[in-house]
Amino acid sequence: MRVELYNLLTRRTVLKGGAAAAALGVAGAAGVLPKSANADLRAELLKIPGVNMGSPTDADWQKVGELCMGSTKATVQQGEFKGVELTFMGLNNQNLHNLLFRGFLKPWEAYTGAKINWIDLAQADYNPRLQQAIATGTVDFDIVEMGAPFEGDVCGKGLASVMPDWVKQQIEMDDYVGYLKAPVGTWEGKTYRISIDGDCHNFNYRTDYFSDQELAAAWKAEGHQGEWGVPKTWQQVQEVTKFLKGKQVAGQDAYGYLDPIKPWGGFGFYFLGSRATAYAKHPDDKAWLFDADTMKPRINNPAWVRAIQDVIDALPYEPADQLNADPNTTGFSQFLAGTGAMCSWWGDVGSNAKTNDSSVIGDVCGFSILPGSDDVYNSKTGKWDKLASGPNYAPNMAYIGWGIYVMARVDSDSKKQKAAWSAAAHLGGKDISLWTAAYPSGFQPYRNSHFNVPEWVAAGYDEAFIKSYLDSEGNSYNHPNAAIEPRIPGIFQYYSVAEDELNKIWSGGSDAQTGADRIAAAWEKITDEIGRDKQIALYKASLGM
Amino acid sequence: MPSRAALSALSEAAAVTAGVSLRRVQDGKRIITLATIGFVVVVLMQILFDAGLQPYGFENWRPILYAYVLWGIALGFGLVRMRGAAGHRALFVLPAVLFTVAMVIFPTFFGLYIAFTDWNLSSFEGRRFSGLKNLYALFADPYYRNALANMVFYVLMVLPQYAIAFGLALLLNADIRARKFFRVAFLLPFMLSPVAVSWMIGKSLMEYRFGPVAKLMREIGWDNPAFFTSPWIAKFSIAVMDAWVWIPFIMIMLLAGLQALPKELSEAAKVDGASKWQAFWQITFPLMLPVSVTAIVLRIIFQLKLADIVINVTSGGPGGATDTVSSFIFREYRDRSNVGYGTMLAEFYLIIIIIFITLLLHWVSRWMRKMH
Repeated sequence: MRVELYNLLTRRTVLKGGAAAAALGVAGAAGVLPKSANADLRAELLKIPGVNMGSPTDADWQKVGELCMGSTKATVQQGEFKGVELTFMGLNNQNLHNLLFRGFLKPWEAYTGAKINWIDLAQADYNPRLQQAIATGTVDFDIVEMGAPFEGDVCGKGLASVMPDWVKQQIEMDDYVGYLKAPVGTWEGKTYRISIDGDCHNFNYRTDYFSDQELAAAWKAEGHQGEWGVPKTWQQVQEVTKFLKGKQVAGQDAYGYLDPIKPWGGFGFYFLGSRATAYAKHPDDKAWLFDADTMKPRINNPAWVRAIQDVIDALPYEPADQLNADPNTTGFSQFLAGTGAMCSWWGDVGSNAKTNDSSVIGDVCGFSILPGSDDVYNSKTGKWDKLASGPNYAPNMAYIGWGIYVMARVDSDSKKQKAAWSAAAHLGGKDISLWTAAYPSGFQPYRNSHFNVPEWVAAGYDEAFIKSYLDSEGNSYNHPNAAIEPRIPGIFQYYSVAEDELNKIWSGGSDAQTGADRIAAAWEKITDEIGRDKQIALYKASLGM
Repeated sequence: MPSRAALSALSEAAAVTAGVSLRRVQDGKRIITLATIGFVVVVLMQILFDAGLQPYGFENWRPILYAYVLWGIALGFGLVRMRGAAGHRALFVLPAVLFTVAMVIFPTFFGLYIAFTDWNLSSFEGRRFSGLKNLYALFADPYYRNALANMVFYVLMVLPQYAIAFGLALLLNADIRARKFFRVAFLLPFMLSPVAVSWMIGKSLMEYRFGPVAKLMREIGWDNPAFFTSPWIAKFSIAVMDAWVWIPFIMIMLLAGLQALPKELSEAAKVDGASKWQAFWQITFPLMLPVSVTAIVLRIIFQLKLADIVINVTSGGPGGATDTVSSFIFREYRDRSNVGYGTMLAEFYLIIIIIFITLLLHWVSRWMRKMH
C-alpha cells in the first residue's frame, strides 16, 4: 500500500509538474516517507494541544484533520468531489463526536470540494431516529456514525454500502485489535464498518484511596481478610464499598463503587452487564445474555440475579443521590470530579482524566480490567463452578465501539460513493485514531498501534498512568473470555425495558428475582415481536457460533 | 320530505338569487366533483399499490400530499364559482380547515388504526394487524397504571398552584411599589422552556453535590438533600418545579379578571364595614369564579400533558414514582420503538382526557348555575 501510494504520488507530481516539496509533505503525511517521518507526524499529533494543556478546541481538531490528509490526497485528486453533498448522521453529546468530525473533515472538504451536511443527535435520541428511518424507508443520510449493536438493523436489512478494497487498504484494517476483526463489522461475509472506537468497560479506581495508610490500618483493625488494596473480584468490591462508608479521604467523604442507576435510553444496562459478566460468562460458553439455541433470556438466572442483588446491597453505601445518577453523571460529575473510589466506564474516564478541564483525579487514577468472581455460573449444568485457574474474569465488550458506515443509497452514484467512503476513511485513518485515543473524543484505543507506550510517554503522559490505562484496555480486548455483545436487531429495546424494571428494583419496588423474572418475560415478548427464528440466527452469528 | 333533485334545484335557485349564474354554479360543481374523483382515485390507487394489489403507484406517499393540496385548491376555486361572494368568504376558513384535517383529524384516526397493529420498528415483518392485543396489554401494564395514578397526584397539585397564584394576583393588583416590575418578574418562569427549567433548577440548583438549594438544605439540617431519590420527595420536587413554571400562567389570568372587577363593589363593601377577609370571600372570590374555573380547567389540560421536566430530571424514577403518562409513552415509543403499543397508549389516554374534561366542564357548569 505504501509503495503504491508513493508511486501514485510521485507519478502525479511529476506529470503535473508540481513542486517536489509539496509532494514530500503529502507523502510524509501518508506515511510514505521513512518510518521516522511518520513517527514525527504521530509525535506531532500527540502534542495537539498537549497533555495537561486543557481540553482541545475546534482549531486543534482542524489541525489534526489537516495533518492526517496524506492518505486522502493519495487517493483523491484536489477538487474531485466538487458539487457532491453528503449527509452525515452522528452524535453531538459531550461536545464530541460530530463536533470533532466537523473539525477533522473541514480540511477534507476544502481539499476534495465536497460539502457535508450534519444531522446531530443526542445519545438517547440515536436509537429511535435510526429505527424510524429504517422502518419507514426514510434513510436521509449517506454516512452514519453507528455502534456495532445496530448492524443487525442496518447491514442485516441491506441498507449499508459494502466497503471497497481501496478503503480497507487506506485505513490499514490489519491494525485493528483482534476482537474488532470479522465477524464484527461484517455481514454475510461482506465488510461494512470502519472502526473508530473499541469499546469495552474497564475498571477505574483511585490510587490515593488504595495507598492510604489510615485506610489500610482501619481495614486491618476491622478484621478484613488480606491487605488493603485494589479489589480483584466483585466480592472484594462489595466489601471495600461497605468498608469505606463513613470514612474520609483527603478531608472528603469516602465512597467505594459507584453504580449508575438512572435509566439512560438503554445504555445504562451496560453497567449492570459489567457487574454480571464475571458471574454469567462461563469460559466454556460463548453466550451469556440469552441461550443461543432458543433466545431464552438468562437475565433471571442465578448469575444475573446475584449481580442485581450486589447493586441492591451496595446502594446504601453509595452517595445519597445515586438513584438519580445516570452513567454520565457517575463517570464525569462524580468520579472525574473526585467522588467515589471505583467505577466501571468505557475508556473515556482514562482519556479524560488528564486532559479534561473538569477532572481532578489525573494524578490519582488507576485502571484494570473489570473485576472477576471467585465462582462462575454454568448455565448448562445450572451450578456455580470454581475454576482451577482462579477467579473468572470476563471483560464486558460493551457496545463494541463506534464505527463509520456508508449507506447503500450512495451506491447508484459512483462519484458520491467514492466521496462518502473517502470521508469515512479519513475519519477512520490510522494516524487520526491515535489522536482520538489520546484526547477527549468519545473514542478509546482500538488498534494494535495504539498500545505503544513510549509514544504516549513522549507526548507527555506519565508512564505508570498510561501503562495502567492501556493495559486495562488491551487486556480486555484480548481476553479469551471476553463477553461480546449480541449484534441483534432491537437490542436497545431489550436494554430499555430492563432499565425500567431495574429502576423499580433499585428503589425497593421489587426484589431481585421477581424483577429479573419480569425482565425475562418482557424480553421474550420482544423476541417474539421481532421474530424469534431470525433473532436466534443473528445472535449465533454475532457470537461467531 | 323534499327529493334530492328538488333540494339541488333550491340551492341553485339560491345561488342565482345571490347573483351567480346557473352556468357558474354548474361549473363549480363540475370542478369540485372532478377534483374529488381524481383525488379519491389517486388515493385508492396508492392504497392498492401499497398493499401489493396492483402494480402502479408512487414510491412514497408524498405525491398524495400534493394531490391533497391540489384538491384543496380546486375545492376553493369551485366554491368561488358556485357561491360567488359567499365562496370568497369560505376561502378565509378553508385553508385552516384543510390544515386541521391534515394535521390533527387525519393523524388521530390514522393513529387509531396504528394502535390496533403490532408494529415494532425492528421487526422483520413490519406492521401487522393485531386486533385488541395492544388494548389487553394496556390494561395489564403496571407501568401505565402507575403513570395514571401519578397523574391524579399531579392534577391535584393544580389546586395549591391556584391558591398561590390567586395570592400573587391579589398582591399585584394592590397598590404596591414596583408593581410593573413584579408583574414582569413573576411572569419570567412562564417564559422559560420547561426543558431549561429542568436544567437550571432540577439539575443545577437542586443538584446534590454543588446545588445551592442542596447546600442551603444542609445548612438548615437536612443531611442528605437528595431531591430525586425517595419516591414522595421526588414527586413533590417535580411538582414544585412544575408549579414554578405554571403559577404565572394562572396568576396572569386571575390578575386580568381582578382588574376587570367593578371597583364600586369593593368600595361599597368597605363603606358597609366589611373586613378585608369578608370582602375577599363574599365579593371578590365569587365574582372571580368564572375566571378561576377557566384558569383551573386550562391548567388541568396542560397538566395532563406533563412530560418534559420528568423526562429531563428523573426519567420517571425512582422506580416510576415521578412517571407521567406522556413520559411513559415517550419511553415506550422512543427507546423501545414500539410504535403500535405506544400509539395505543396515547389514543387511550386521549379518550380518557376527553371524557374527563367533558365531565369536568359539565360538573363545573352545573355548579356555577347553582351558585348563581
